[in-house]
Amino acid sequence: MGATGTRAEPVPPTAPAPPGPVADRPRTRRPPWTRWRGFGVAWLFLAPALLIFTVFKFIPMGRAFQMSFHEVRPYLGDIWVGMDNYTRILTDEAFSSAIVRTVVLAVGQTGGSLVLGFALALLLEGTAKHLWFVRTAVFLPTIVAMAVVAEVWRILYYPGPDGTVNSVLGWVGLGPSQFLNNEDTSLWSVMSVGVWRGAPYDMMIFLAGLSGVDRSLYEASSVDGASIRRRIWHVTLPALRPVFAILFTLAAIRGLRVFTEIFLLTNGGPNGSTEVLMTLIYKVGLERHDLGVASAGSVLLLLATVVLTLAVRFARRGDSKAAS
Amino acid sequence: MSQRRALQRLVVPVMALVVGLSVAGCGSSAAEQDPNGRLDIWVRKPPGTETEQTAKDLAAKFTEKTGIPTKVTAIFEDFETKLSQAAAQKQLPDIVINDTAQLGTLVKQGLVREIAKDSVEGHDQLTPISWDAATAADGKAYAVPFSAQTLALLIRKDWREKVGAGVPSTWDELNALATKFTKDDPDGNGEADTYGYVVPGSTKRGYTAWYFSSFLWAAGGDFLTGEPGAYTPAINAPASLAAVEWFQKSFCDGLVVPGAATLETTQAHPDFESGVGGIYLTGPYMMGKFDAKPGKDLYEVVPLPAGPGGAPAALAEGENVYLMAGSDNQDGQEKFAEFAVSVEGQTLAMDGDQPGNIVRLPVNSTVDLAAVRTDPRWQIFDEIYQSSARYVPQVPEWTPFLQSSAETLNAVVSNCDTQAGPALDELAATFTEELGRQGAGG
Amino acid sequence: MSRGNRTDTALGLSYPRGPLARILRVLLYAVVVVIFAGPLLALLVGAFGKVTSPTEFTLIPQGLTLDNFTRAIDRDVLLYLLNSFVVVGGGLLLQIAVSVSASYALARKRFPGMRLVFLLILSTMMLPEEILAIPLSLVLADVPVVHVNLIGSLWGMILPVAAWGFSILVMTEFMKEIPVELEESARIDGAGEFRIFTAIVLPLCRPALGVIGIFGFTMIWDQYLLPLLVAQDSAQFTLPLALRNLRSDEEVGLGVLLAASLLALLPSVIAFLALQRQFMKGLTSGAVKG
Repeated sequence: MGATGTRAEPVPPTAPAPPGPVADRPRTRRPPWTRWRGFGVAWLFLAPALLIFTVFKFIPMGRAFQMSFHEVRPYLGDIWVGMDNYTRILTDEAFSSAIVRTVVLAVGQTGGSLVLGFALALLLEGTAKHLWFVRTAVFLPTIVAMAVVAEVWRILYYPGPDGTVNSVLGWVGLGPSQFLNNEDTSLWSVMSVGVWRGAPYDMMIFLAGLSGVDRSLYEASSVDGASIRRRIWHVTLPALRPVFAILFTLAAIRGLRVFTEIFLLTNGGPNGSTEVLMTLIYKVGLERHDLGVASAGSVLLLLATVVLTLAVRFARRGDSKAAS
Repeated sequence: MSQRRALQRLVVPVMALVVGLSVAGCGSSAAEQDPNGRLDIWVRKPPGTETEQTAKDLAAKFTEKTGIPTKVTAIFEDFETKLSQAAAQKQLPDIVINDTAQLGTLVKQGLVREIAKDSVEGHDQLTPISWDAATAADGKAYAVPFSAQTLALLIRKDWREKVGAGVPSTWDELNALATKFTKDDPDGNGEADTYGYVVPGSTKRGYTAWYFSSFLWAAGGDFLTGEPGAYTPAINAPASLAAVEWFQKSFCDGLVVPGAATLETTQAHPDFESGVGGIYLTGPYMMGKFDAKPGKDLYEVVPLPAGPGGAPAALAEGENVYLMAGSDNQDGQEKFAEFAVSVEGQTLAMDGDQPGNIVRLPVNSTVDLAAVRTDPRWQIFDEIYQSSARYVPQVPEWTPFLQSSAETLNAVVSNCDTQAGPALDELAATFTEELGRQGAGG
Repeated sequence: MSRGNRTDTALGLSYPRGPLARILRVLLYAVVVVIFAGPLLALLVGAFGKVTSPTEFTLIPQGLTLDNFTRAIDRDVLLYLLNSFVVVGGGLLLQIAVSVSASYALARKRFPGMRLVFLLILSTMMLPEEILAIPLSLVLADVPVVHVNLIGSLWGMILPVAAWGFSILVMTEFMKEIPVELEESARIDGAGEFRIFTAIVLPLCRPALGVIGIFGFTMIWDQYLLPLLVAQDSAQFTLPLALRNLRSDEEVGLGVLLAASLLALLPSVIAFLALQRQFMKGLTSGAVKG
């Protein structure tokens, strides 16, 4: 095994010999402890990260897993309930509607950000100086803290006829809406905030992708007399397919774990119309003191995230294999 | 190569270790008692306010008298989630001063410990009805009552005089007043920016139902009927239905401030304060704030009139001193409780006429209210408390009922097309189920 | 007739097409800027003006006053801001230290179990912070082995943040690009591991440090659920957390929220503008491509 030696002996400047069959490797008679010293140093550098990851990521995950099989009662003792918590989640109406809402919100925000982001990228593509200014201005929502975004939109969404968004709607002749205060409009209102925040992010990634599109293809298509619309459809979009794929995954995973914006905008109301899985888990765990069920919900959400990530990864690997 | 395999074999035990570490708590035995251990006191008050200061003064006085150190933490938003967290971490404070409505939930999870009424020095001085708030459905006391309050209507007097209406004594008059407030520009600024009722209608903490309960009872309706331990739902009875429909109509007629369905009380106060709405059912604790703005002479305190076919009623609530489980100074807990209900403690906590009171109406009947509070409006509240106030039904856990009522009411008032009848029938079914689950049904 | 720049962008917008098209373009730009930056601009304007209720929230200045800020300071906004800076500063420092040292091992060393470790770290990127937050808060209350309670202390917000797979990923990719020769020659000269690390590798990492710095800053500043669970007293609130409690004020109404929100967004904006290049590089880097 080629550990980079720590002794001051001449070491060939090329990369260490790859691990091959035992017979191939040149046997240098080194005392065993130098090899371990090499490993030791490596582990030393890794130790802080491993420690922090273990304590703050893996142990909590283990704890959540453990709690998900119990009815958690800190002062009266936990009771083992097996799969009860999981069954409850998959059959309980509150949870299943929260799951549906989470998916709807994720899909809506993902799709909206992708479409709007792409449109923005098309509009703001280019190297002109003034475009940099516009792009930076447009990008601000993404870097501002979610809490600030939520507070600002709570103000904008004031349901009276003289609220900001209602006033703007008034200019184009649309009636005032209750936005966050009405069951029918609350989810869409929240979704719009997510799109508002996510589209500029997607725009930036699209811009990077667009700059990578081969310009000669554009030349060729315009020589062929293709209209701009056809050019976009046939040249730009296919070239951006991997970008769409990544953004879709990122956005979908973001959508599954949404919490802060709902918590601050509506706290799941009115009447649970914006309750998503994460806010429900919070309520069940800390307001209804049912940590077992909340943990089961967390584990399920985790599984969904993992499955989604892996699925996209496999699909893309298949894609690139087919393409090559 | 063999090292790799050796290390791979390590993976399983390492994982097991990680899981094991996460599972094994540090086994904590029952807390050892230290009669001079510091008492951690949590109060549900906004930090940085006079109420927090009064709580600190109370604790400081106690320390002065007994030598037991204390520490007061004021938490307002997320109080219950913070407490829940502390419970899950097995690090509860020693004393919690919080709403009486929390009693059932705290008892159910074993977070509070029982206290024998007779062992509390001065227990006979307390108003009998106040002990209701500290007694659970099994008849045992798990807290000591601390403060009491009830609700009344605060009405903009200047607006009422401008629209030429009298003090409402029936619901019809009340609604007429609200309509005038909405339509007749009572603040005279030429804009249609005033409304009748200020309603904290958010489902958070069950505010919708909390607000509505006084109206429900005043109209002769009720959530549950029967004796403790043998309740049946009454939320879909005719009187209750009429009250809910009346409530829905006030929203749908536009008599309520905009956005009421997601307002919590802290967000509703400003609507009365800044003159968005002119009728606000709330407690005496708001008077200090509203005396500053809109101003003491601009509003009046009016008991909630009886609804059609009902008798005057208002929600009684209060705060208890809860003695939390797992404390390492149980002796100190009891001493603090005794101090809190003593005349000295209650008077200190009432803070005279200042807005920093943490005891609104005293539970100790030997306290002379008129001597401590010169403001006669307090007498109005006291009379309501003594004559027509009611605490919430004594079920083991009131929160699920409050929460589901709030959600139904919120849905009904948010959507004018919703029929109240079927919604209430569904709620009654939920009640029956919950009563069964809690073993409180008849 | 010259084609102009018709093929330099997908839409070919910079191709001059007459004054009407140009006006339309400028209009579109304006609309887009108003939609995305408008609300934040209104926040800026409102923070310095008299805005007592949501209906007065506009882009048009309503008088110039610092009342909102003085009121915000009365209500401890400076403390919350300080807390935010402490958490971000401490967290970022720790995050960078941990990530850089871990990626040095991953990029340079070969050792048994390396792939496993790398996979493990990568896998944590699939563990969203929100999902872990509640169990994490329980672990923080009674940290294994050392048995300390980090709830109610800013450390409870700083320490967990140090574990971020993204920064390790970016640093590792970057370090792999650094030529090995520099280290090898230093090793030949007899330098010890740590000296090599601090004197040679670290300085070369500066560009990547910019990337993980700005991303880390934004991520930590943005955090909500974990600080919500860790803070017990309002004295431990970070500024984003405190906004909820500042929604209304008896003296200046909405103004205090606007002032506090402005203070909450300025550091992110300033950091972004200062490190914009690194941010863009990071966005399009290998980490994003997965």
